[in-house]
Amino acid sequence: MDRTQAPALSAITEVNFVSPITFVINKHVNLYHMPYVPNDTARFDLYFDAGKIRNQKSLSSFVNGLLFSGTKDKTSVEINADINRLGGFLDTGLSAENAVISMYCLKEHLPELFDILFDAITNVSFREDEVADFLSDRKQKLHISREKVSYLAQSNFQKELFASDEKYATILEDEHFSSVTQEDLKAFHENYILNGLERVVVIGNIPAAEVQKIASKAGEIAATRRPEFATSLQNRIGSKHVEKEGALQSAIRVGRTLFNKNHPDFLDFFVLNTILGDYFGSRLMSNIREDKGYTYGIGSMIAELNNTGYFLIATEVGKDVREKALQEIRNELDRLCNELVSEQELDLVRNYMRGQLLKSADGPYAMTDLFLSASLQGKDLEFYNDALLAIHEITPERIQELANKYLRWDQMTIVTAG
Amino acid sequence: MIHFDRFTLENGLRVLFHQDTTTPLAVVNVLYDVGARDESEDQTGFAHLFEHLMFGGSVNIPEFDTPLQQAGGENNAFTSNDVTNYYDVLPVENIETALWLESDRMLSLAFTPKSLEVQRQVVIEEFKQRYLNQPYGNVWLELRPLAYQKHPYKWATIGKKIEHIEDATMEDVKAFFRKHYNPQNAILCIAGNLELETVKSLTKKWFGSIPAGEKYERNLPKEPEQVEFREKTIESKVPTDAFYYAFKMVDRKHDDFYTADALSDALGRDKSSRLYVALKKEQKLASEINAYIMGSHDEGLLVISGKLNDGVSFDALDSALWKVLEKLCASPMEAAELDKIMVKIRTAKAFQEQGLLNRAMSLAMNELLGDANDVNLENEKYKQITPEDMHRVANNIFQKQRCSVLRIKSAQK
Repeated sequence: MDRTQAPALSAITEVNFVSPITFVINKHVNLYHMPYVPNDTARFDLYFDAGKIRNQKSLSSFVNGLLFSGTKDKTSVEINADINRLGGFLDTGLSAENAVISMYCLKEHLPELFDILFDAITNVSFREDEVADFLSDRKQKLHISREKVSYLAQSNFQKELFASDEKYATILEDEHFSSVTQEDLKAFHENYILNGLERVVVIGNIPAAEVQKIASKAGEIAATRRPEFATSLQNRIGSKHVEKEGALQSAIRVGRTLFNKNHPDFLDFFVLNTILGDYFGSRLMSNIREDKGYTYGIGSMIAELNNTGYFLIATEVGKDVREKALQEIRNELDRLCNELVSEQELDLVRNYMRGQLLKSADGPYAMTDLFLSASLQGKDLEFYNDALLAIHEITPERIQELANKYLRWDQMTIVTAG
Repeated sequence: MIHFDRFTLENGLRVLFHQDTTTPLAVVNVLYDVGARDESEDQTGFAHLFEHLMFGGSVNIPEFDTPLQQAGGENNAFTSNDVTNYYDVLPVENIETALWLESDRMLSLAFTPKSLEVQRQVVIEEFKQRYLNQPYGNVWLELRPLAYQKHPYKWATIGKKIEHIEDATMEDVKAFFRKHYNPQNAILCIAGNLELETVKSLTKKWFGSIPAGEKYERNLPKEPEQVEFREKTIESKVPTDAFYYAFKMVDRKHDDFYTADALSDALGRDKSSRLYVALKKEQKLASEINAYIMGSHDEGLLVISGKLNDGVSFDALDSALWKVLEKLCASPMEAAELDKIMVKIRTAKAFQEQGLLNRAMSLAMNELLGDANDVNLENEKYKQITPEDMHRVANNIFQKQRCSVLRIKSAQK
């Protein structure tokens, strides 16, 4: 046996994509049910039009954090005890354009947990003591975050990246804590939770009749309008540094506003991004970690919004090598603009990406997330077959063309902290 | 229930196979029976540094990652105080690529000076990023040597200090490989849509000819029983005071391990647990509070940690916390409370076993601890716990003389 010879490989040509079943709640809102789960686990998610952009004084963040703070009949401890008695794991999330509540549980408990959750979030009374406790905790957490160079870089990057639209550029500030009133919270809740449900997802081997009941009940808070999101955003080009005394590392963010799946260049740029920084063998990792040892990790990503998106490179490096690391990031962007990617490297990336797509579609949870990622932008699963085709057909010339179009250093917002 | 087959190659490599016909992916998981506890005290952080070097090329293959990515796969690894675990996830058609790569680095590494120099820098940056340049990041560097005086759990996986990473030499690297990286000290677990006969012939083909090597006999200094309360307060540039109570508890194989886990859940797993309700919601002393076990293989720790509300003293927190513990020790809990804990444990386990990689890792870890099939007995072990067991184990654990307390005091106030 010759150990220097790699075993033969099979190329992945097909991925089995499975759609969830759609239950229509109203003209704008659907419930998606993925019933093909081969075990007892289940999950449901409620997505609301209650993202950070809906308020410039952080009411989105406060309401999101207070959804389980109690109703006139139940304290927050009683609500949590009800959820925990049924083994539920609750998770809440907040992004620029969405708020989401997720419940992980065994399928036998899902209907009852939905009822408990629905009651809690629709009847939340914003009790004064709970609000005061929550605000004080949240403020403490914010102050701890500000001790992290990653937070300082990210929050300042957000302001620069979304400079063209104040709604997207807003971050949590100290003065938001003192200005908030109970009336503000109730009004936000009324607008964006009680009339803001955008989508429901149910994953689990649960009878359709049970799912229908959930859809009907969810209809009570389903949005009756189509939410408005930014269609284009423009980053402020240039560099900014946030000094942090005593820091051992500097966090770096380099990026620009871009597009989402609906743009004709998206799929090809997706390949370009992978080459640059989206896998262990990427250009950024190979150079800045594996050759220079400046960092524990570096990566690039495409972040998608409902109607647009952005591109981002993120890392933390030794403070003494910050300028060198920035120079190397720039070199890697320049190299993509000035030199053709070799067929060998491109071939590797093609195979890697096909394998990742296979993984993204493996199992009902991953499959549902993949479906949602497309459907959020008005696409269906055919998008991923298009992706396989784009990965197959892309050329080194096309990659260079896109690098010159989208990855020039003079298009970037650069923020460092530390 | 995780089905599996088990066989041993002639060189002593233990192999587990878990068949899953529903997934197009396969997992190759290699668990080495070596962790930070096997380091010498003047060379800490070495097991973890070594893990990085395992990706720097092997005797016949210049790069580990490239061929795996070419096969559509990806990989990672982690080091703990107890073990080092490597895994590859890739399309099942290409599983042989992972076996080729894993077997070659079990056979021997390339030991290139460049790899050592670069990974030394990478690990130093990791040390800074995760431990030194984070608020409260130094907690485990401080708490471990307080709770352990003899056992090597007294240092963190990343190491005691950066200097130990800086001083590692190529000779050390080679010696470490010889001592710990061979078939006798490893467990291979393969999972995916394959047949047992295929797995047998493939593992024999790639791993069968690797020399058995020396079996490493672990002989660690035993931690003397803790008989005195320990405490330490350090000032740090953080915005909020934080507290960490570490109680000695039994090792991973002891029958009471599961009960200790359930006790930590009763105290601080969720927002209806005893400490959360009493100290945060009712008395408003803490802004956050959690309880958990470390899960270590040797004598472990049950930890209660949290942050103080502004204006609250460590003393006020301390006396309220001990009152909650005393109540837990005073009488057995109601069956309903125990039921709540059990359904959460059952739910968490169902989610954990959902993923192919987690199943492969659990099998390998349980085999290392004695028997892969123990993973299938866990639910039953939890189910058998009674309120009386909880009461008895609580009284064993929550003694002041078995407790070490670390306080991080905000230097900004």
